[in-house]
Amino acid sequence: MGKKQPGAEHRLNSPESWVDQYGDFLYHFAVSRVKDPSLAEDLVQETFLAALGARKNFQGRSAVRTWLIAILKHKIVDSIRKRVRESTSDRVESIADAAAGDSADVEFTGKGGWRIRPARWAANPLETYRQKEFMDVLYRCLGQLPQRLAKAFLLREIDGLSTEEICKELNISATNSWVMLYRARMWLRQCLEKRWVKPEE
Amino acid sequence: MSHWMFSCKEVSRKVSESMDRQLPAHQRMLMNLHLMMCKYCRRFKDQLLIMHRALNSEDLPPGDADACPHLSGQACERMKQALKDELAKGNK
Repeated sequence: MGKKQPGAEHRLNSPESWVDQYGDFLYHFAVSRVKDPSLAEDLVQETFLAALGARKNFQGRSAVRTWLIAILKHKIVDSIRKRVRESTSDRVESIADAAAGDSADVEFTGKGGWRIRPARWAANPLETYRQKEFMDVLYRCLGQLPQRLAKAFLLREIDGLSTEEICKELNISATNSWVMLYRARMWLRQCLEKRWVKPEE
Repeated sequence: MSHWMFSCKEVSRKVSESMDRQLPAHQRMLMNLHLMMCKYCRRFKDQLLIMHRALNSEDLPPGDADACPHLSGQACERMKQALKDELAKGNK
């Protein structure tokens, strides 16, 4: 009926138009996560440049905006990681060390029961993430996740790669990938449980 | 721990794994059986789902709609220039 929407193909061919189309949204997203406007600006620019380099690999599996946001999320986590590294305290080190082993051993009793029972995060669990503080803590925890685990986890959760794709990317076995993803989730969960003050409690 | 029942530790593994692949039927059954009976493992599963949704979300945080930050014209120009330069480099 109306005019045909310009396809992803077309939009990919004019990277400069990304700035007009997605710049403000990406910037808003970045500012809300990193709080620092000039850093946010840099991250958006890095995102566009990375996207330009990777656009041949963009298979149109998602919308262009989704694709750009995924790249931006990686940049945000990287920048938080860098900041955490620079101000490394002993406390952070000790968390990272604990995660180097199997954090599940710490979480469970010898009989396989919960040592500390998981808390209830919200009355409506699936709405939890909309709370601003939750996102902040989550990203901070992500920035502290041991790098190898973080890589596997972000490929899975942010880029939505399948286990097979992750194995190829990281050159590991399927079993290994499940173990890494498990450890990453256990570690993050623990970090959130420690740092996130539940509003309703 | 009897061999036909999963412990919480085993269930935590299986819940995570089920987010990455289709579990074999009998494992799925044992996992669901345990989840039905164990509220802490249900919480654990909810927590993993919350993390998953949070990371997938493209939502902007609520409450800053009134202070919606925009890129300055200068910043836009700088980014376009950077992209142009990069493209020119690629075409050489």
